[in-house]
Amino acid sequence: MGANQLTVSRGTKRSIVKALLSVALTLAVTSVVFLINNVNPVIAFIYLFQGAFGDINLLSETLIRMTPILIVSLGLAVSFKCKIWNIGAEGQLYIGAMLGTIVAIGIGGGFLSLVAALVIGAIGGLLWAAGPALMKVKLGINEVITTFLMNFVGIYLVQWMISYPFRSPDTYFPESAAIPSSSALAVILPGTRLHMGVALALALVPVVYFLLERTTFGFKVKVVGENPEAARYGGMAIGKTIFVSLIFSGLLAGLAGITEVMGIQFRVRGSLSPGYGFTGIVVALLGNNNPLGVALASLFLAAIMNGSSTLAWTMNIPMGIVDLMQGLLFIFVLASEPLVRLLERRGVLKL
Amino acid sequence: MVHQVHKGVAITPLSPPFFEGKGDSPGVPNEEYAIFLKGVSKTFANGTVANRDVTLGILKGEVHAILGENGAGKTTLMRIISGILKPDSGEIFIDGKPVRIRDPRDASRLGIGMVHQHFTLIPEFTVRENVALVLASSAWLDLKKVDEKIISVSKEMGLEIDPESKIESLPVGKRQLVEILRLLCQDVRILILDEPTSVLTPIEVDSFFKMIRDLKSSGKTIVLITHKMKEALQISDRITVLRGGRVIKTMPTSEANEAILASLVVEGMVPAPSLGRGTPGDTVLKVESLRVKDDRGRTAVDGLSLEVRSGEIVGIAGVAGNGQKELVEAITGLRKVESGVVRLSSEDITNKPTRFIIEKGVSYIPEDRMHRGVVLTMGVHENLALKCIEKPPMSKNRIIDRESMVKNAESLISRFSIKASDPCASVENLSGGNIQKLIVARELSNGGVVLIAEQPTAGLDIKASEAVHNKLVELRSKGVGILLVSSDLDEIMKLSDRICVVFGGKIVGEFVTENLDIERLSRLMLGAK
Repeated sequence: MGANQLTVSRGTKRSIVKALLSVALTLAVTSVVFLINNVNPVIAFIYLFQGAFGDINLLSETLIRMTPILIVSLGLAVSFKCKIWNIGAEGQLYIGAMLGTIVAIGIGGGFLSLVAALVIGAIGGLLWAAGPALMKVKLGINEVITTFLMNFVGIYLVQWMISYPFRSPDTYFPESAAIPSSSALAVILPGTRLHMGVALALALVPVVYFLLERTTFGFKVKVVGENPEAARYGGMAIGKTIFVSLIFSGLLAGLAGITEVMGIQFRVRGSLSPGYGFTGIVVALLGNNNPLGVALASLFLAAIMNGSSTLAWTMNIPMGIVDLMQGLLFIFVLASEPLVRLLERRGVLKL
Repeated sequence: MVHQVHKGVAITPLSPPFFEGKGDSPGVPNEEYAIFLKGVSKTFANGTVANRDVTLGILKGEVHAILGENGAGKTTLMRIISGILKPDSGEIFIDGKPVRIRDPRDASRLGIGMVHQHFTLIPEFTVRENVALVLASSAWLDLKKVDEKIISVSKEMGLEIDPESKIESLPVGKRQLVEILRLLCQDVRILILDEPTSVLTPIEVDSFFKMIRDLKSSGKTIVLITHKMKEALQISDRITVLRGGRVIKTMPTSEANEAILASLVVEGMVPAPSLGRGTPGDTVLKVESLRVKDDRGRTAVDGLSLEVRSGEIVGIAGVAGNGQKELVEAITGLRKVESGVVRLSSEDITNKPTRFIIEKGVSYIPEDRMHRGVVLTMGVHENLALKCIEKPPMSKNRIIDRESMVKNAESLISRFSIKASDPCASVENLSGGNIQKLIVARELSNGGVVLIAEQPTAGLDIKASEAVHNKLVELRSKGVGILLVSSDLDEIMKLSDRICVVFGGKIVGEFVTENLDIERLSRLMLGAK
């Protein structure tokens, strides 16, 4: 029984190969870009690595960066497993951050305020995903379109809220008031900004794993995602499973947003998230919707994001390199399945 | 019937192909024949022999009906001619000249076109656009030319059609005509039609046949694949009967009648040694004047009634597409019942959710085992728990007990001798036969009162089929009522206590398996009165 759990199945092996292949191809193409700019790619990647993990401060910054990405992508992994494509995590994240912040300020300090903010923030994300989920299940409207468009509604709604009703009275920028300092997530490594949020995110990895692998809900998510006809035949409530998996991904997106506020930013700004909701999509796909894979992938993406700023000032490479790498990664992750199949046909790979 | 003489034929062993009389002894390919097949054989990768040494001539300008049951090899043969499949051996002659047909484009160049059971038109496009799609020989699209072609061809067909109407707005019968129109626009001389009337209403059939006659008189050669004797007799000049992939006989239609054809179709069929009889008890499944629609919205099950008692196997015999699929889906809650009642013992389960029906004890072995029966990417243990995952011992309070799942899998694997590398192996690594054993294991082990077995041995080898059959008989002896839906008549005869023949969504005849009149059964299956 134990042995069965440890053997790596063909499918798992295959998805690891696919992930590594996508990363390798991304680094290869990025190297070409470096060469064109007269930069030695080996040195560039060393700087990138140092920028991400070079010392305790840089490492903790990378972990801070990883936190919202990991939380978002764990949620997306669940909906993607169900073959439900939530492209709206960014909007759900902003709504969650906003609602949570309002609650934190309203209660005014203390542990209760923190917990209430996290709970309400998560519920905010859930509610923002509930609309598209309902439209999907009741009316059959494609969730890709509805979740994507709800991003704009959510982000602009938050923009308006921090510009008018919830604007901080003591700044010149459109931003919310700061949360009470007593309700912020505690710093866990003195001398850095590393906060309890990273522990929360890491704790969610086994939780989501358990949800997917050890509960009847996770079982149904897999059956509905892999073969809805078999789910129907097996008497499963397909609509309910789709609905729950989509709002669950909204729940974690909202939690990611409010964690970012309570741990790092302490208020809602228009620049709260540099697209964590979209990065989460790449991460979930790269991690093959497996919580452990998602954890590694989010660390990798966070490292690229942070390392490239070091790269930017040491080697004079524009910061846009982050977007380039993220975009390449996305393309290669999508291309990895046909690529691996091609390699298998040619006899290069045996899986 | 006058031709009672042929009744004796039914118990003679399968004879080799024989030809007699003028026009049906195609010894040599010559220019009289639009198509001439010589010794064509085809075996599929899974071992199914679809065509064995088929020698067959289609005369120029004739309507030639290819008649046979499901799996007789009709469609495979025509797909070989139209370049979709490659024969393993044999030669094809067009107008007396040997040809190689490598792909549908080759066939099209030779003037051969096939209308499939599933249409290939693009629904969002107009008639004109669909025709232009296949005519476009250069990058430049001359729509005026396309229109001229459509108009001239539709005149020839006697068809009124607006080139600007969208395909999706046309009724199914008309779509089929557009399908034919499109082939004729490509200057096809030899038209192959695969079960063309299966999508038509009776009125449409009449005008469709009129069009076939018009096309024939304008010099086209038409091959009609059908399993309906009546139609073959009504429209064709000659009929070829296929059975088990062989040509049984080619004969002029004028010399044929329903009795002769029925005996040819079932020729050599001997009731298989039956696997004993059950001892029927109370009625466990009762279907009363059931009416169900198919995916296209046409009535597929048309006032059907039947009964299954405990400890009894009731066979539903019939050519596929006569409402069997819809009947099964209606009973299992996968398809809406329009009217009528489905009763389980005394409980009304009409239009109840699938979950409810499963829990009341209806097990179901689906025909489409890969798409419906299993989740290929999931493990054997997970697939075996597909229907009981929400109940103990598989799960408690929504938490899965993995150990129970594996234990369950281990015991079923040994009881049903499923070949799997380990109980958690992904199902996609199993052979087709073992996947079927897995489904059978799951459906037989859940203590149901009724089992619906839909084509339970289709595509399986003899050994795997035997295993499935023995399990069904074992289940019957335990008092389960079994509804066996199969287009394999041998299987029906071997297992059933009673046989109901379904045609056009109705039960048209019922037989007790002892002293069975196979010919009458076969006639009923093929739609004769």
